[in-house]
Amino acid sequence: MTTPAMKTRIANDSHLLKEVSKDLIAALKGKGVEEDIIFDVHVGFEEALRNAMIHGNRNDPEKKVTIETQVTEEAVIISVEDEGEGFDPGKLPDPTLDENLLKEGGRGVYLINHLMDEVAYERGGRKVVMTKYFYKKHL
Amino acid sequence: MQVNIEDKNGVTVCSMVGDIDINTSPDVKKSFDQIIKDKKDKVVIDLKDVGYVDSSGLATLVEILKNLRAYGGKLKIADLSDKVRGLFEITKLDKLFDIVADEQEALSTF
Repeated sequence: MTTPAMKTRIANDSHLLKEVSKDLIAALKGKGVEEDIIFDVHVGFEEALRNAMIHGNRNDPEKKVTIETQVTEEAVIISVEDEGEGFDPGKLPDPTLDENLLKEGGRGVYLINHLMDEVAYERGGRKVVMTKYFYKKHL
Repeated sequence: MQVNIEDKNGVTVCSMVGDIDINTSPDVKKSFDQIIKDKKDKVVIDLKDVGYVDSSGLATLVEILKNLRAYGGKLKIADLSDKVRGLFEITKLDKLFDIVADEQEALSTF
């Protein structure tokens, strides 16, 4: 059964990040989604929230992050939008190149792109829309 | 997040319990301050009881590795769950870190 889309707007606070993530993970567990899929969604969702708060909103406590999630029979669709200036995901350095391995940052978007099945950046990079299918036949 | 630190025959074994993420990474970093200050040169991070690591956690582990390497220290990472190991593989950090099966292998290969 497809659940209604949930939309929420949260303050730029990493503890709230964990709260909204926990709610989505609980919903997926309740639906009987495989643990491996849930792990990927967990990482992908929190990386998107973290990017929005730290890189998009630049830790500004006045700014907000808007989140929409929808769980259908076959997938979870998540969007995360910040109030920053946006970015070009195509211009990010590849963190897996030898010269970048020892750099501390730069892995968030890379993880999102590898763990989620569909990823699109909208509104100049301020919004990311991600889909994770529950069954591998959709890959 | 809890970090239990023990000396086992000259090897510093750091067993972590909990998630290593945006909220706990600062505490993880802090728990290595003394190890770095004392220039411990054989260090194992045991991730047996860590079920979740995000990019902040990966960054923290890279920072610890760099700090240890700065004085010639060596680091082994032991007992990763399949999913956490998958994150190391996706980001190619498995090429950077010396990853071993478990604490016993870490202790016997220093």
